[in-house]
Amino acid sequence: MNIENTQAQMRKGILEYCILSILKQREAYPSEILETLKKARLIVVEGTLYPLLTRLKNSEFLTYRWEESPSGPPRKYFTLTEKGKSFLKELDDTWAELNNAVKTITKLN
Amino acid sequence: MKKTVSVNIRGLNFIIEEDAYELLQDYLDRLNESLRNEKGNREIIEDVELRIAELCTFNLTNNKTVVELLDIQEIIAKLGDPSQYIESDEQETSEGREKESNETKDSGEKRLFRDADNAVIAGVCAGIASFFKIDVVIIRAIFVVLFLFGGFGFPLYIILWIIVPKTRSTIDRLRMKGRPINVDTVREEVEMAAANINKGSKRFAQQVSNDDHYSRSVRKGFRVLLTIFGSFLIFVGILMLIPFLIFLIGGFEFIPVQNESGFISFPEFGKLVLAHSSDYSLMATGALMLGFSVIIFLILWGSLLVFNIRNKWAKLTLLLLFLTGLSGGIMSAISGVRTGKDFMRGAEEAVHVASIETDELTLLPSPSGNNSLRSGLDLSLMEIGSEDIQLTGIHIKYLPSPDSLFHIHKQFSARGKSSEAARARALNISHDTEISGDTLHILSSYSFPKTDKLRDQEVELTIQIPKGGTVRLKDRIISLDGILPSEIEEKLEQEGYLRGNGKYRHD
Repeated sequence: MNIENTQAQMRKGILEYCILSILKQREAYPSEILETLKKARLIVVEGTLYPLLTRLKNSEFLTYRWEESPSGPPRKYFTLTEKGKSFLKELDDTWAELNNAVKTITKLN
Repeated sequence: MKKTVSVNIRGLNFIIEEDAYELLQDYLDRLNESLRNEKGNREIIEDVELRIAELCTFNLTNNKTVVELLDIQEIIAKLGDPSQYIESDEQETSEGREKESNETKDSGEKRLFRDADNAVIAGVCAGIASFFKIDVVIIRAIFVVLFLFGGFGFPLYIILWIIVPKTRSTIDRLRMKGRPINVDTVREEVEMAAANINKGSKRFAQQVSNDDHYSRSVRKGFRVLLTIFGSFLIFVGILMLIPFLIFLIGGFEFIPVQNESGFISFPEFGKLVLAHSSDYSLMATGALMLGFSVIIFLILWGSLLVFNIRNKWAKLTLLLLFLTGLSGGIMSAISGVRTGKDFMRGAEEAVHVASIETDELTLLPSPSGNNSLRSGLDLSLMEIGSEDIQLTGIHIKYLPSPDSLFHIHKQFSARGKSSEAARARALNISHDTEISGDTLHILSSYSFPKTDKLRDQEVELTIQIPKGGTVRLKDRIISLDGILPSEIEEKLEQEGYLRGNGKYRHD
């Protein structure tokens, strides 16, 4: 077990949650999502995002529409589906629980 | 000065430096490869390409219109290595899944090959063993058993030999083993093959790979079995060689008949039986090919087994011999069928010989002392003249008479391809009977023209015996058609055909 692996696993678990959370606030295309994630230092390389987006979309949590861009290639704007919203709701609860649990435990130490 | 190329990424055109283009292309190829087993991988790559196009446009200004190597290097650094696309833990499991899915996918594609590298004859058994993942010794044993009990194993082997492809490449070998086809397995397989060659002998390598006592002794035992089996094949081949050589000489007269020499040759006999004169040469050629192939095949195969020879040409020869034998068999069968057709229909022609009023009818075969009036079971000799064929032996059947007279009928029968042809043949039969007083002189032989060929020509006398009448057959006992000697007494009691001493009384 090495530190990178553990970090990656921790990050990966919340990455999906964070993507869904970003899209809950507003429709976004991948580059915008990337920007947000990078700012939050949740993502190291951009490539990681794309398989996740496709998986979420294939799980019907996301849907998208195409939009022309004034400068550059067309953009794929993603939004949450109803299924995605309820999934996110559950993740919110789980996150809250986990957060509490982690806080409680780390405080104990 | 740098060479540039024009590319279209998701509908946008870019001028890009050639080395940059190559780098990008390589990156996308690797990405494609690493996402090969990811669901929706096409879409992921599309999205990545969109992002690349977007990043390229960011880097271009009015003064900078060409995408440079440095730009692409930056973009790739941003996107990350293809291996980083799927997070590391995911990567592990997805690799596991990949292997699994490969395994199942390829076992679906698992194919039957002949394993040329582990072959004794053509690798059929080794291939089957590999296919079912069983020890090849077991498969071989099954084939040997199938061969010994009913000979079924032999044609089966030949058929499989013909229809199952040989392993020609490493990929084939992997398919044969049902292993996934990827860089690693191919390398392993190639290394294995190389190792085999290095050790100088494929057999040795095979032994090393299964180097335990059990396997060795089984292999040794199998070798002994093969040697015994091979010797048996050679023995059978040589045994068959003798009649074959007699047949080959052809002119040799060995079929017993009553002509001047006592025997006729096979071709002559063939002419008497076969429907068309051309059939003999067809059948003879066919039989010759069949006999030759079978004998050489057995001896060659036996030798290969006994001396443990593995030679491609020897195997090819075996295959050719098999095909020759097969066509020979077909040729013989064709003429056989044609002749068989000439036996399709039977016809009988009955003639009334006489009705006699007497108490006792005496049957007098002539020439007396010559061959018998016969039953259906005994064999008679042929006499072949220049025009006629003469057969010896007349059937006699006794029946109760409806009135007080002895009624004597004669029935000629023969076979042909139609009833008409059969009837014509039946009418061609000549047989003499003569009545003098109460004595019936019966010639014990009958004849028909040689041109009619042997078509089951028969003569049968029916003697109807009135109540109280007796038949005396002077010096011999008549047996009855289809009745075994032990059954005769019983038959007599029940049906009253014949008294043991040749007297008959119909009560």
